[in-house]
Amino acid sequence: MITSAGRIVLAAVFLYAGGLKALDPAGFALSIDNYRLLPYPAAAALALYLPWLELGCGLAVLWLRIRPGALVVLLGLGLVFSGVIASAWLRSLDIGCGCFGGDAHGRSALAVSLVRSVFLVLLCGWLLGREWEQHSADGAGRSG
Amino acid sequence: MTAPDKMNAARAFFFRAFRQAGVLLLAALIPALLAGAFHPRRPSWSRDQTMIPEVAWSTVREWPGLRLLVDARSEEAFRRQHIPGALPLSEVQWEERLPAFIKAWQPGARVAVYCDNAGCQASQAVARRLRRELGINDVFVLKGGWGAWLEAQK
Repeated sequence: MITSAGRIVLAAVFLYAGGLKALDPAGFALSIDNYRLLPYPAAAALALYLPWLELGCGLAVLWLRIRPGALVVLLGLGLVFSGVIASAWLRSLDIGCGCFGGDAHGRSALAVSLVRSVFLVLLCGWLLGREWEQHSADGAGRSG
Repeated sequence: MTAPDKMNAARAFFFRAFRQAGVLLLAALIPALLAGAFHPRRPSWSRDQTMIPEVAWSTVREWPGLRLLVDARSEEAFRRQHIPGALPLSEVQWEERLPAFIKAWQPGARVAVYCDNAGCQASQAVARRLRRELGINDVFVLKGGWGAWLEAQK
């Protein structure tokens, strides 16, 4: 039950975030560029690609057959996002996260975004662990 | 399960997971390429073409007709100090503050949005939303923001 709730929360977050960013890739490109980590054309390419990756993985989390792969991707994305937000916070950039469209700007807003991102990483890790446990249990049941 | 069996099972599980991840990573390319070709709000490949143009305070000051100044900073910053006559409108308080802006705006008015300084991005975000959601084309970003306006008063 808790595992199902966790999957639904994770899926909802990434479907919402991906959907918002897919509606305005130009705005998202500027948000990525604000972090000053990539040349602008790379930011524009990521702005076109990432929302669809989030949407696809958000849906895939709810689909048993491809759930482990989705959790691996989302875990990787979460680690990258957390690192990027942390770097912006450390450099005191007066920017918004860019995670959900109209974010607040500034250091405290980035701190909130970082905490949220770390929470999602932990949730992904826990759900991936649960998938592995289920896989092990199924394997033991078959061989037992 | 013996320890070797567990190792093999783990290897198989993660191999399958990474293979699925690869499929998802590749599958996302298709809508991304379509968005790049057809999305009405696709980014240009040049930053300057995607950003809202900036204008200096010396230009804004000389604008004929109705001139609206929008403060995209936090409520707290606005309350402390702001350009006289500016309207507060940040992304965080968008729904709450937008009606006052709409009431003040008239066709033909030029809008200059500002935030703290040249490094902040809130003004670009607010200006983009005004253009996109209200269809107002004469929206610009005040170059250097609040900091530049303060300098100009010296």
